[in-house]
Parts: sequence; structure tokens; C-alpha cells
Amino acid sequence: MTTDAGAVAVRSAVDGEVLAKRSEYDFVIVGGGPNGLTAAAYLAKWGFSVCLLEARPELGGGAENVEPWAGFSVDPHASYFYGAAAPALEQLELGRFGLRASPVTNFGGCVSPDGRGFFGAGNFFHEARARDPETLVNLLGVTRDVAKIFLEFMGALEPCMTDFFRSIYWTPPYDERWGFSPSDLPWANVLREALPFFDDVMLEWSLCEMMDNMGLPDPFKAGLLVGSWGNGPHPFHKGMAIPGFAVQQLMFYSNCTPVGGMHALAHSIIRCGLAHGVRMFVNAPVTEVLVEDGEAVGVRVDDATALEEKTIRARMGVILNTHVKQLPRLVSHNHLSQDFVQRVEDLSLKGGSLFVANLAVSELPQYAAADQEYAGAEYPVGMLLHSTTDQMLELMRDVHSFRTHPTDPDHYQLWVINHSAHDPTRAPAGYGVLDINLQVPAPEDHKDGPDAVNNAKDEIVENIYDVIHQYAPNMTRDKFIKTWVNTPRDSEFRNMAFVGGNWEGMRVSEDEWFSRKPLPELARYRTPVEGLYLCHQTSYPGGLCLLAVPYNLMHILEEDYDEIGSTTPEWWYRSKWHVSDAEGGTR
Amino acid sequence: MSESVNPTIGGNPLEGIEFPHEHETDAVVIGAGPNGLIAAMYLAAAGLDVVVLERRYEIGGGLATEEVLFPGHYVNTHASYHFMTDYMPALQDFDLGGRGLRFHKPSIQLRGRINGDDVLLCRALEDSRDSMARSSLRDAETFGAMATRFRKVVDGVLGPATYLPPGAPLDLMEALDRDAVGQDMLQMSEQSAAEILQEYPLPDSVLATLLYSSCQWGISPQESGMGFMVPLMVDRGLQKAFSYGGSHRLASSFARVILEHGGLILDSAEVEAIEMDGSRAAGVRLADGRRIHARKAVLSSLDPQSTFLRLLPEEATPKELRTQAEHWTWDKWSLLSVFFAVRGKPELRNADGNLSGDAFSTVLGFEDFDDVVQFLDAIEGGEIPKFAGHFTCESAFDPALSQVDGQHTCFFQMPAPYDFDWDGRQADVIEEVTSLLDSQFEGFRESVIDVAVENPRDIERRIPCMVRGSIKHGDYNPVQMGNMRPNTDCSSTRTPIAGLYVCGASTYPGGMVLGGPGYIGARAVCEDIEQPFPASYTNSMQRYVDTYFPEGLPA
Repeated sequence: MTTDAGAVAVRSAVDGEVLAKRSEYDFVIVGGGPNGLTAAAYLAKWGFSVCLLEARPELGGGAENVEPWAGFSVDPHASYFYGAAAPALEQLELGRFGLRASPVTNFGGCVSPDGRGFFGAGNFFHEARARDPETLVNLLGVTRDVAKIFLEFMGALEPCMTDFFRSIYWTPPYDERWGFSPSDLPWANVLREALPFFDDVMLEWSLCEMMDNMGLPDPFKAGLLVGSWGNGPHPFHKGMAIPGFAVQQLMFYSNCTPVGGMHALAHSIIRCGLAHGVRMFVNAPVTEVLVEDGEAVGVRVDDATALEEKTIRARMGVILNTHVKQLPRLVSHNHLSQDFVQRVEDLSLKGGSLFVANLAVSELPQYAAADQEYAGAEYPVGMLLHSTTDQMLELMRDVHSFRTHPTDPDHYQLWVINHSAHDPTRAPAGYGVLDINLQVPAPEDHKDGPDAVNNAKDEIVENIYDVIHQYAPNMTRDKFIKTWVNTPRDSEFRNMAFVGGNWEGMRVSEDEWFSRKPLPELARYRTPVEGLYLCHQTSYPGGLCLLAVPYNLMHILEEDYDEIGSTTPEWWYRSKWHVSDAEGGTR
Repeated sequence: MSESVNPTIGGNPLEGIEFPHEHETDAVVIGAGPNGLIAAMYLAAAGLDVVVLERRYEIGGGLATEEVLFPGHYVNTHASYHFMTDYMPALQDFDLGGRGLRFHKPSIQLRGRINGDDVLLCRALEDSRDSMARSSLRDAETFGAMATRFRKVVDGVLGPATYLPPGAPLDLMEALDRDAVGQDMLQMSEQSAAEILQEYPLPDSVLATLLYSSCQWGISPQESGMGFMVPLMVDRGLQKAFSYGGSHRLASSFARVILEHGGLILDSAEVEAIEMDGSRAAGVRLADGRRIHARKAVLSSLDPQSTFLRLLPEEATPKELRTQAEHWTWDKWSLLSVFFAVRGKPELRNADGNLSGDAFSTVLGFEDFDDVVQFLDAIEGGEIPKFAGHFTCESAFDPALSQVDGQHTCFFQMPAPYDFDWDGRQADVIEEVTSLLDSQFEGFRESVIDVAVENPRDIERRIPCMVRGSIKHGDYNPVQMGNMRPNTDCSSTRTPIAGLYVCGASTYPGGMVLGGPGYIGARAVCEDIEQPFPASYTNSMQRYVDTYFPEGLPA
């Protein structure tokens, strides 16, 4: 399986093995983001030889950290790790390779302009339930009945939270051709069993309808809706209530902040992969997937890379950890149909492009407006400022309908994320780093052209200072020492897989979800070219560094390759809801 | 395997699956700079369980390539090139090329632009001589004789001795006295850098350039006993190699070997204390309370004050070690680096057509030899008499460093004192440096897109064991070199504390990514625990031992 026939052998004095100028592997993986790295680690641990090629100077994709000023480590992209429920954590033993969580459970809260707010995604519900419904009544401003319904709902769901998450995220989507109905969806089965009052009609709701049906008011409602918009489905997409709600619950129950930042997550996966023999190369952009007789047989890397071999062959398969829109750019159109190429081109990039401002501050914001009673001793990692549904609608209208970035500071709904309060590795003692996220249009979609947001950087940063100051009066201008901005335009320039600077890859919509994500023929990670797979956040279930796409992909590879399917390692387990092609009826 | 339920309510969601609170291994290495990584690489290859602990979020220490010019412009914030690639055993003993490492030595290594006169110093001696011959054939001959002499001393003594433990001065004198090259080495060791260079009747621009090259990293030009740095820095300084993708690639390739051999690397893992088992160093405690127990060895690649005064329990440390650490002197000066992202490759003004070509490094801002001496003396005295130093456009050689078509990254660097109002004077510093570069490069000022400054305080903030911005972890002077680095008890990397080794830049032979301390440290550990070392001497080391220590190295 891992011999290198024909390769030139070089004996190393110390390595005690014959190392080769390798140019042939079982699998070649294009892209070193969390999904590509995880796929590489899975395959190598399974026993296959793997080469991973990354175009950028660093591995990790969106799981990156940068130290723009000595002593301050910022998150240009992802700042939370929502994947604590991922099977990959235990299957790949990422803890063994250094992954640690900051000791924090208070992941965030919301504050609306009237000063009402609450703290505590994470331990919030735990504490609320431990006290009594009165807690919710006071905190959220709901009636006792609503509080009771909500606590009952959460109380019933909590014991099966892992199943709930895994049935949505860590299960390969079904094949559209099987003709299943919404009530057959894996999570419908989990909820039906867990919730006595579950009704299939919930599967048709939008998240907004769900919140309204439960009677949940702002700022809590707005917090959940904004969180869903930023991390997953648009809150008004019909049929997306459950996936939208699940994103929130990931934030409450499956969330952690890796010590050292998100790049530490990437490090643990990289080190797992390397320990199992993956060869990883950076500054190695792939220019073409080589296809022979309809089958992917390798890749060609750019001539300017420092690799000795510019053609790398794959005996078994090629796995693309890059945006679906890069697929037609890497594969000769001899092998792709015109309508497929056009449908890929048509995929929407709306709804996930974030303006990021990393701010070095000389003190932490003290949110005077927020309810302090339940804040406890623990400083919240994240706060949503301007947490009202109306303001979310205005921002959404700016971004999606008027196709521009907000200019009215009242429309600035900001996530203010502060890992430095809990992780001393992120900033010098006495200082902090705030990561600010604000929705803006994808560059391609902006009415004033792709550079419009970049040209407005200074103005947007000024508004961000003002909004933070509005909620935290201690944050006068002199507390902001340095500002470092990453726009969607910057993101897509820095990383070819962030097309549109979209953190989710593409729009998370009802039409392109589960068996239709990103397109029906790509849902099971296969592509029109045999032996070529798509393993990127543009595949199901999307982004958030969940390490879900590669876990799901392994189920498909087990079906496609006898060498994989016949050698189930002891550490591997499948999703309980996985349906094979044979069982589903396409074979 | 049963499926565990990871999500928890009100607790740590990684409970039970994150890195454990107690871990046991054979050897713990503190610090993932070049020496820590090299030590760990050999120990892992020797079959030991190794854990490397790094305080920063990224490994590499001085092997750091970072995107400080956002977006898409990468710079080496510390080491930008490596001058011992021909001798470093790690590069011969492991297939680092197979792990993505590629070195390149630029042809024109150094351009001295001294008071309007250009001199080119090249990787190939003939090319340097061609440059000298422009003014005088005799200069070319003189330079050739000097370079040949320096090469012999480096090749015969300094290169290989970098990777062998230091002998006692008397033993060393006796050994080197065995042949002419050794005797020459001994003679130069007694002299100052300025004395050695002034023996050569070369144009002042050549001597000024060579003096700057010899002394820029922290040698007083007129200090006796440091002369051996001249052959080293002149010969090796013209054999600079950069690694494609930046210096960090070197650290990455070391890390790959460590992991492939079963070692572990933890970052954002600051060591708070070395823990003792009786009189033996037996592990470390991290700032977050985690403990890593070391069955066989603890290796510290930090500076002596960190190791002996901060990490070790006071009662476990011999008083003399503490006293010596207290008296440790930091580098004479640190560095100021100003990084630029620019449109187009900077082109020299008034370039002599006979001397065209991109030099990897350009020395500029000096009038003559004496000016270099006075400049360095002033810097040592804590002054900044003017802005003068060296300039490199890295992306002209390594395209990976600028991801933007047509844009380049470059830097200006100079010796700089730690005590200066760096934060308050940042704008002035940028202006001074920009003016200097604009005076030498066409349209430089207008081409600048972004600037980032790394001053001595920034160096210390990023890497605290570079105290006062000491890139070498401590001054190079006659009483902190050779077997006195960091002190006579510890210069072999062994310490008076059982199980504890010191293998960073503050141990013989020193810093500058030589990789000597890490290599020597790993060898010492293997010898002490009677584990076969996984590599034999390189050819040059073997030749050195055969020539000067035919009866074997003294114990």
C-alpha cells in the first residue's frame, strides 16, 4: 500500500528508513484547511500514504492566528471551535497532540440598546434550570409559561444533545435520488424520540417562526437569529429552523476556545497527520487535477513551488479541500458538463462575509448596560451588541437587499469576542484583544464594487469604536491602541478557498442543504470525476471548523474503496444515521 | 471503541479528551526554537519519547516567518538567512528536503555601498575578485588571499568545532597548535576584529563592509579576543542561504521529523517551573498547572536567568550557578528592523553598470571603516548616532514571501540599543529609515505600501528569553564564549544538576541559528543514558577530531 515503486530512494543517515523523493501517494489532498488536514489525518491513521498540498505559506486555512504586534495574537477568521462533539476529536486523539480548551463556559450574551442583556451561553441554561423558571422570566422578560415551555424543551433535548448534533452535522447527507421526505431526516428521528411534543411541522419552520412560536423575545431572540445568520442558515429560510437552532446549541454545548487560539486546533490536526506519516507541503498551489480515462490520477503543482516533483500522482484518489467554485478551475472541462459548470458558477455567496476588526485594547469593555446579576464571576467571551430583531433586519436589508455595508451605526450588530480575558497567551498582561465581526456584502455582490468595503475600512472602524463605547462607557478612544482589519476582500485574496470572503463558503440556504449541498451530485462528496472528492466547507454540513466533512467523507470512501471498507480500524465508528448507497437504493 | 459524549453542560467540553493534566515522557525540551527542535529531533530519532514545550502560539523561536504586513506580505521577523548550512549536521542527517525544506544561496551575497563606492561580495570568490579588480588587480589578489585564509580556518576549525563540546582553553590551545590552520586560528582569536581586517591593504569600502558584517550581531570592533568572529562572519557571511518560504520552514521541517518519530510538540505551553525528584530534574510544570514528567532528561533552551533563577527551585540550584546567572550580561545591542511592503522591486540609484545585480544584503549609510567603528561604539554606549545598517529585499529571491503580484517585502535592519523611547519615537524612526532608503533606492518613498517596525522591545515581547532584545541570549565577549558560555560548569550542555541540560543560544557555541547547542545537548543526553546517538560525526567533524584530537576528545 505504501511502497514507492520507481521512486528514487535516498537513504537518510538517521531516519533509519528509506525515504524517497516521493511523487506518488495513495491520496493527494489539495488544501490544508481544517477539513483537508482532518481528511489527511484520517486516511493516514487508516494506513494510507497521503500528500497534502497547501497554496498558502501556512497550514490551517481559516483556523489561523496572527501576531501583528508583538505580544498580541489575533484571529483573522474563526475564533470559536464549535466542534467539541466531533467524533474526530477522539478518533484522531487530538488532545494527545496538544489540543486544550481555555477554562471558560460563558461563551456569550446579548445586549439590546435599552440595556437589557443576559450573559452566559454555555452555563446559562444550566444555571437557569438549577434555579427556577423565575430566572428566565427576569432575565429574558418572558412570561412564566414561555419560560416553562422553553425549559421543558431544553430539558428534553439536553440528554441527547450529542445525538442531536451528530445527526445533523456528523452524518453524510442522503442522496437526493432516494426520494426521502423531511420526516426521514436523521435529526427528525432524534427529535421525535427526544421531544414528546415534537411535530413534523417544525421541520417546515424558519428559525424566526420557531422563536416566535416559542414566544422568545429580544434580546435573546435576536441573539439566536444573528448567530444563525452569521454561522449558518438565514433565519428566514423555510425548513431551516432546526439546523438554525442547532447552530445556536453548538455554541452553547459544543463550544470551546482552544488555548492559543484557533490555530492551535489546526496544530493538533497537523501534528496528528504528521505523526501518522502525512507529507504536508506549503507554498504549493495546485494548478490542475490530472484526469486520465475519466479518473483523477494526481495533480500538478505550480512551477514556482520548492517541491522537486511538480507532478504528484494519486493511486487511489484526489481530495479537494477548496471552494466548490474552484473545482471547474482545477479540472479540465473535458470532464465536466456545461450545465454543471454553470450551476457551480451560479451558487450564491451571500450571507457569510464578515468584516473583522481585531482591536488591541488597554482594558476590557465593562458592559454597563447589561444585566450584571447573572454575569457571575466569569467574563463573557462574546457579546452581541445591538441585539434586537429590528436592527438585525435593517442590517440584513443593507447587506442582502441594498447590497452595501451599513453606514448607520444603529445597524451595526457586532459580535465582540474576547478570548484574551480567559487565555493569557493572547495578549500581554494588562491588555486585551477584541475580535469584532460585522456582516457586510460579499465583494462580488457589493453595489459599489469589490473594493467598496476596503475603501471604507477607516469609517467602519470608527463606527465600531462608537458602538462599543455606547455599551461599555469605559471604552473611550484612548483604550483602543491598535486596530487590524481583515475584510472579505482581504480573505479571498489571502485564501483562494474563501471565495467572496464567505466564512461559510456559500449561502446556507434551504435549496442547497443536506442532499443538495452544494449541488445534488456533489452532496455525497463525490464529483463528476471518478476518484475526485470535495471535502470543504462548501460541502455538507458547511463551515465552523466542525471536522464534520472529512468524518462524513470517510463513510463514502469506505464504500468506494475496498481497501478502506475492508480494513475498519478499531478506533473508527460510523454515524448511527449513515445510510449506504446500497441501503439507500442507488446501487 | 465506545462513543463518548463530549458535550457537557457548564463544564469544559473537552474534558477527558484534551491533553492530559499529567503526562510522562523520556525527555522534555523547553523552548521550540532551532536548538530545542534540533535536540528533540535527535532524541526522538534515538528512540526516546520527547515532548517539546513552547510558550508562543507558534514554534520556531527566531525561525519566524509572519504576515506582519497584512495582507499577503510575509517577513522573517528574526533570522532571515542561515550561514552554517554547509556544516549543520541536522541538515545532513535528516531528509529535510523530503519535508519541504529547500535552501538557496544567492550569488551576490553582499553589496557594500560605502560613501558612494560599491563593492560586491559574492558566494563565488571569483565573482568577488572581479568586483575588486575593477579598481585594482592587487586588491583582488589581496582579497583572494584573505578569503582563502579565512576559509581554511572555518573549514578546518570553526565549522566543525561548532558541533562539538568546547574544550578547556589549555587543551584547545595545545590541540590547535598541531597544524598551521589551528595556529592561525589561535592567533586570530587573540586579536580584535578591527586589527585582523586592518592587516589587509584593501580599499576602505571593502574593509568597512567586512567590519560591519563581522560585528553587526554584537561584537565590539576593537575588543581583543573576539577576532575569530571575523573569519567566521566573512567566510560564512558570504555563504548565506535562505529557505524558500521563509526561515520558519526550517522549524517546520524539524517539527515534522520529531512528530514522525513519535515526539510531541505543545505550543502556548509556558513552562513555569522545573520540577525535581530529589536532586534530579524530573519534569516541568506548565503555567496552566499541567505536569510533564521526564524519566530521563530535561533540556532547557532558554537563557541562563530563566533556567537557573526562575524555573529551578532555589534550593535545588547550586549557589554558584545562581550567582553566575545573576552576572550574565545581555547582548551589547539589539536590533531594529523596519519591514516594508513596496510596489515594485527596489532598484539602487546610481548603480554602476559593472556592478549590477541584486545583492541579497546591502550595507548602507556608512562613510568609511572608522565610521563603522564609531557607529558601533555609539550603539554600544546606548546612542543612535545615525540610521545605517543593511537592507534586503527578500521577496526578490523568495517569491513566496509576497503573495501580491508586483509587490515586494523588504527590510532594513541595524544594531540598536534597548534603552530608547521606541514606542514614542516610532514615527521618527520610520521617517529616518525611509529617508535613508529613499536616498539609495529609486522612488523608494513613493513605493511604500505598508511599514512594520520590530524594535528591541518588540523582540523581547515576542520572545521573552531574548531579554533586552538579546537575539543571542547573551553577549558575545571573551568571558561569555567558548567553555565559559554560559559558565564553565554548563558549557558542555550538562549541568551540575542531574538530568538537566542547557542547550540554547546561551550555551556554547552560541546563537545565530548555528544549531550547535541543540546538537551537542542531544549527544550529551544520549551518552549519559547510554542510548546510541542516531548519527555519526559529519565528515568535517571527523576530520577536525582526527587532526586535532587524535587520541579522542578530552572527556
